[in-house]
Amino acid sequence: EQQPVQTETWKARSLEELIRILHRIFAEDKVSVEEVQELMESYESNPEEWLQYAKFDQYRYTRNLVDSGNGKFNLMILCWGEGHGSSIHDHTDSHCFMKILQGNLKETLFEWPEKKGNGEMTKKSERVLRENQCAYINDSIGLHRVENISHTEPAVSLHLYSPPFDSCNTFDQRTGHKHKVKMTFYSQFGERTVC
Amino acid sequence: LPPGLSQWFPALEVLDVSGTGLAELGAELLALPRLHTLLAKNNRLGGPGSLPKGLGQAPLGRSLRVLNLSGNRFAEVPPALLGLRGLQSLSLGGNRLHGIPPDIQELRSLEFLYLGGNFITSIPPELANLPSLSYLVLCDNKIQSIPPQLAQLHSLRSLSLHNNLLTYLPREILNLVHLEELSLRGNPLVVRFVRDLTYNPPSLQELAGRTVKTRNVPYAPSDLPENLVRYLSLASNCPNPKCGGVYFDSCVRQIKFVDFCGKYRLPLMHYLCSPECSSPCSSASQSSTSQSESDSEDEASVAARRMQKVLLG
Repeated sequence: EQQPVQTETWKARSLEELIRILHRIFAEDKVSVEEVQELMESYESNPEEWLQYAKFDQYRYTRNLVDSGNGKFNLMILCWGEGHGSSIHDHTDSHCFMKILQGNLKETLFEWPEKKGNGEMTKKSERVLRENQCAYINDSIGLHRVENISHTEPAVSLHLYSPPFDSCNTFDQRTGHKHKVKMTFYSQFGERTVC
Repeated sequence: LPPGLSQWFPALEVLDVSGTGLAELGAELLALPRLHTLLAKNNRLGGPGSLPKGLGQAPLGRSLRVLNLSGNRFAEVPPALLGLRGLQSLSLGGNRLHGIPPDIQELRSLEFLYLGGNFITSIPPELANLPSLSYLVLCDNKIQSIPPQLAQLHSLRSLSLHNNLLTYLPREILNLVHLEELSLRGNPLVVRFVRDLTYNPPSLQELAGRTVKTRNVPYAPSDLPENLVRYLSLASNCPNPKCGGVYFDSCVRQIKFVDFCGKYRLPLMHYLCSPECSSPCSSASQSSTSQSESDSEDEASVAARRMQKVLLG
């Protein structure tokens, strides 16, 4: 079989291998979005490999750092209880990959509000992501809200952000007004972070 | 459930029968004295007799801490579970509930209540009598208004109200001191000032009642017919602290907006004794009142700042 010319087709057979390959990919100057997305999708979620990072909070979704990618990227696991959702947010000029490890997550895409915008934000599209699917977004594509709409099942997702960022803007859907927020980790490398 | 369950596993603490197609949980449960967690989500529970009678009186009534009945077919909160005095966590998400029984207040130990994804249209004020409630989920229902009494839930840290039919919130919501999470998206919250044109002027009886109360006209039960004595006892104080007035049935509903640095406007409902009575309580940034206000405005701005952090965080 012919391999694609410009990008490799990787298959990550474990979370550890996924991280190893990511380090190799990001060590290069140029990184292909398709390559990373395919790699993330190729990893078949195995809870035994990530359970140690999946720390849930009763009140809201959590961000659990798995690997800090030599400063080139952050890899983290997000845990969403039933009904937990995020605000509408941007990605501070970074690439964002989101792979479902367990359950389902609904992603709603929004247009950027007008500069002088003072009306309801425009929904572009929405979809429900299934286990092992991997979505991609960056600021030029738009903004999104991610939610676990299930009332019976928790959800777990694996996120890669490159370059890493610790603040972003959240948007009020009714008015388009934005507000900068700092993002924190609920745990890092499997250890609960005490704030 | 297999008969003999309690004989085989008398020390059973956690039982998970989720996704097994069960249509009823039988009396075998009652004989498990150490059971603290019962997970029975995604089954066919909901008909009469889904839960065994005498649940509250069994040892289970004191030992059970967590009960998850999400993803079933309950059309009402099963009365049998209201006797579970030790219950800390209850989930009835994704069922077919049309309401919440006032007797929910009997679950004195409840900290976590998940009722998202039902058909609930209103919330009984008795829900506010749960002293330890810290997480309340009411998202994805058909709720049109929140009773102001809910502000008495002092322990509430997270309130999920998204995807309902709310057009405004009670002003008292600013009193939830420990609230850290509040979701309101997907509600038709009014964004522009809506003048309530349906103010019904007070009746003569009301005007007389108001005078009796505000002027402290003395009266004894022997002076008045019993129905009027009762009527006078129902006087409500105007929430405007500057106004010493009272009202009975006739009040003005006024939506005032609390503005959080121009970034998030919450419509809060105020009940005032008359259109002329203007409450300073909402004006975090509104300029309708004079600068000579003291305590009430400070309180209001503290409350507003707190709520701002919750909404924008």
